[in-house]
Amino acid sequence: MAASLIRRPLRTSSILLAVFLPLALHGAVVQDTSDPGRRYLSPVDLAISPNGTRLYVVCEDANLVLAVDTRSNRVIERIAVGRQPKAIALSPDGNTIYVSNELDNSVSEIDAASLKVRRTFGAGWGPAGVAAGRHGNTLYIANTLGNDVSVVEAATGRNLRSLPAGTFPEYLAVSPDGARVYVSNLLATLGRFDQPPVSEMTVIDAESNQIAERIPIPGVIQLRHIAQVRMADGAYLLVPFLRPKNLNPLVQIEQGWYLTHGVAVIRTPASRRGDSGTSRVDEVLLDDVDRYFADGFGAAATSDGTLALVTASGCDTVSMLDTRKLDRLLQAVPPGNPEALADRLDSARRFVTARLATGKNPTSVVIAPGDSLAYIANRMDDTITVIDLHRQAVATTIDLGGPRQVTPERHGQQLFYDATYCFEHQMACATCHPHQGLSDGLAWSLETPELGRDVVENRTLRAISETGPFKWNGNNPDLETQAGPRTAMYIFRSQGFSDSQVRDLTTFIRSLTLPPNPRRKANAALNEAQERGRQIFFRTTTNAGEIIPPEKRCYFCHPPQTHYTARVHMDVGTKTPYDTSASFDIPQLEGLYMRAPYLHNGEAVTLEEIWTKYSPEDKHGITSDMDKVQLNDLIEFLKTL
Amino acid sequence: MTKLPCWLCLATGLGPFFSAGGAIAIPASSPLYTKWTNYTAANGFPPGKVYCVRVDGDRVWAGTGHGLVLIEHGQVKRVFTPADGLAGRAVMSIAVDPQTGDLWIGAFGGLSRYSGGQFKTYTNLSSGLANDLVYSVAVKNGEVWVATAAGVNRFDTRTESWSIFNEKNGPFEEPWSYSIAFGDGNVYMGVWGGGVIVYNPATRSWRPYTDPDGEMEIVLYRNQGLIHNIVSSVAYNESTGMFWASTYFGLSGYDGRNWHNYLTKDSGLASDFINAVQSRGDLVWACTDKGLSCLNYKSNVWTTYRRLGTDGRGEIEITGPEGHKSKTVTPSALAHSYTLNLDFQGDDVWVATGNGLSHGICQLTQ
Repeated sequence: MAASLIRRPLRTSSILLAVFLPLALHGAVVQDTSDPGRRYLSPVDLAISPNGTRLYVVCEDANLVLAVDTRSNRVIERIAVGRQPKAIALSPDGNTIYVSNELDNSVSEIDAASLKVRRTFGAGWGPAGVAAGRHGNTLYIANTLGNDVSVVEAATGRNLRSLPAGTFPEYLAVSPDGARVYVSNLLATLGRFDQPPVSEMTVIDAESNQIAERIPIPGVIQLRHIAQVRMADGAYLLVPFLRPKNLNPLVQIEQGWYLTHGVAVIRTPASRRGDSGTSRVDEVLLDDVDRYFADGFGAAATSDGTLALVTASGCDTVSMLDTRKLDRLLQAVPPGNPEALADRLDSARRFVTARLATGKNPTSVVIAPGDSLAYIANRMDDTITVIDLHRQAVATTIDLGGPRQVTPERHGQQLFYDATYCFEHQMACATCHPHQGLSDGLAWSLETPELGRDVVENRTLRAISETGPFKWNGNNPDLETQAGPRTAMYIFRSQGFSDSQVRDLTTFIRSLTLPPNPRRKANAALNEAQERGRQIFFRTTTNAGEIIPPEKRCYFCHPPQTHYTARVHMDVGTKTPYDTSASFDIPQLEGLYMRAPYLHNGEAVTLEEIWTKYSPEDKHGITSDMDKVQLNDLIEFLKTL
Repeated sequence: MTKLPCWLCLATGLGPFFSAGGAIAIPASSPLYTKWTNYTAANGFPPGKVYCVRVDGDRVWAGTGHGLVLIEHGQVKRVFTPADGLAGRAVMSIAVDPQTGDLWIGAFGGLSRYSGGQFKTYTNLSSGLANDLVYSVAVKNGEVWVATAAGVNRFDTRTESWSIFNEKNGPFEEPWSYSIAFGDGNVYMGVWGGGVIVYNPATRSWRPYTDPDGEMEIVLYRNQGLIHNIVSSVAYNESTGMFWASTYFGLSGYDGRNWHNYLTKDSGLASDFINAVQSRGDLVWACTDKGLSCLNYKSNVWTTYRRLGTDGRGEIEITGPEGHKSKTVTPSALAHSYTLNLDFQGDDVWVATGNGLSHGICQLTQ
């Protein structure tokens, strides 16, 4: 056991190491963020021109799109776009570039010839993935916070309609024939907290622009980029996923049963609207028995469909998949059992032909026309890894020109995404806190004196710096305790981070903020229902005029002065037979609208259920006198925080 | 009774319909249905009442007491139940979102969305739904309007915000809402015991329409207002600008200036007990407990369809503007004369009855 707790070095026998840029770690460095040219770039998405001579790189921390000449491998233009650009798409003719700006709820349209922004038009809430329809007339935008897809007229930027997606839709792909648009959802469909998660691949009929199919992907979360693999007998989708065993006690991490990483293989026949169960799903792991490839992110396939690439963003690796071998493996699996291979750690060796080292935190991958080269965006060192697909080796690394010096916050950010500190590289902080520190929405069976008890819902890391103590039991007085010894002992099962690393990591975590709340008007004014809800939140008497005891008032436990948390324990009547304590840390309420499910174990799928199901004796504030209109109003107010 | 010559459909133009009082002119805009295909327990359809029917292209959805039925190409393809995620077994209303293609289902048990082959359900406990007894649902521009036993909900699918309209914030004499319809920028709400309430979301203004003689079951003031406050259904006709309300005591139409009320005793209406009303073009359809009646509003000619006995034959009764009646027997008929709802598939009509679903086929030739 002692040996297993020690962080293992990378096994170089199976890895061709890339040339890493030297990144000095100087704790005293402070980044000048006032000048976009001095910001870290953090490349997160790529697109390549139809002739392969231009690579476009979305840099989320610098609010830039870079144009790279692929003949010289030099940056030839830096194009300023909106805040936190997340994803990119080209028009079919390659003349127009679309970039989603997640914090601005907008899309920048760039002229590919002049490399100037033509215009910026509105999107939904938190736009990420963007894709152009086959004929270029229509754009599809995945709105993470809106849980929908905007269908936009490309010529005018006008929103034609919004289609409800799954939970936190992040990336899109248009089928080669243009008939369908695929949408991957980062988080699972909300369901019972004590059941395995089910994620969704949403399929849009591009002709009618209506929902064609919602494909359930059982047992997994965090569907990411979508690769389309052409085969002789029809194409299939390849989508990276995370497969959590969140209801198993965390001690199982040594047995390799806690978190695994792989791809969903989805075959979608020409299904029509409303058909269900017509797509075939198979899940297969990319992990090996004693070595994991955490946080699958980017995926791409060659035009002939023989080779697919999947990045492991937590392990600085790209896996090369022989799709013919993968196909043969799956053909032996009877249809109708997506999880037949989902727990097999001996599958990857049968179809993974190489594991190549990339830069830090590889995200998106694209393959250039001709299938000779692939480009991989490395978010945490501002580089592009270029892969020679014929040799299946790293050809070179492109320096995008980010700052050379590493601030403590940047170093903490690098640590946040790095799974190599965990036993067998099973997970990073970002594994359970994807998309800049979100909660993954799952209930986890963490280490407690009695195994299998005290299942608790994962909590967000955004805007938490002034909300300690931490954890649902409030046992962690500060972030350093959580990120240091607790993470090492209970989560990573390794030596964990050094003191200075913990300091940098917590600096980064404290920098995480909430996005602008789209439910608030620009002037922060409340609408009528929200204002009525605010008055209920601060009420001191019941509908009958009786005085509400102070400890039963909403603002007693959730005071606005301290981010709507009194920062103490409270028993609100939610203890279950599986909980050791009845008293739980009072959570902050800011960003509540993007944090479902609710309560300490996530059993309240919606805000309504907190009071309609889990506060029968008015322990969670006096609410039983309220009518349905009042409860709806209260919730409308809470969603504005 | 006169034998019916069968050239009587929309495309055939004017045709004579012979009665004891002479020929009754059937307007060109009045189709006749002489051939019916029925879906009952005898051929695999769930037994008993069909509460609603909705046509979605070449698909037909029916709400029954045993779940949601999908019919494709003349076959029952699937019956969805709560085991599939449906909010309740008794399906009272179905609406199709023209933008997303999603189906919204009102059930006794809550509200469900059927999208891409998957259900998502909203209940009083898990959402802002006012009540789990959902009688009617309608969707437009991303907003789902829901008539429940405790008021009317508006659910904004983009913001996932719920609003409730009831006696506390609207002119509801009763919150028990049965029906929702859109028209001319307004939302028409049919309320059991509360008449018709019209809400304009743009101006957030209300206009209630109630029976001027209260809830009396006799009509004191004919054509001076809504015929009765117990409204089972409301419909808006885009081409005429009229809204129609079916009540359990007669049929009412309002053209913005005058009321046009109909009772069985002095019209061709099959029964004053009307479960649902629909209107398009010059026609107004009333689903009654004694047959399906169709009024040509311009010519004041009524056509009523009934089932005769148990041998499968049916009856068409034509009532002319002067009250002359003519009847003919058809070889097939509605599944049952107790009718609850209907929808159109081109010129064909689908009718929810007390004992199965009926498809009235519009025949273009003799």
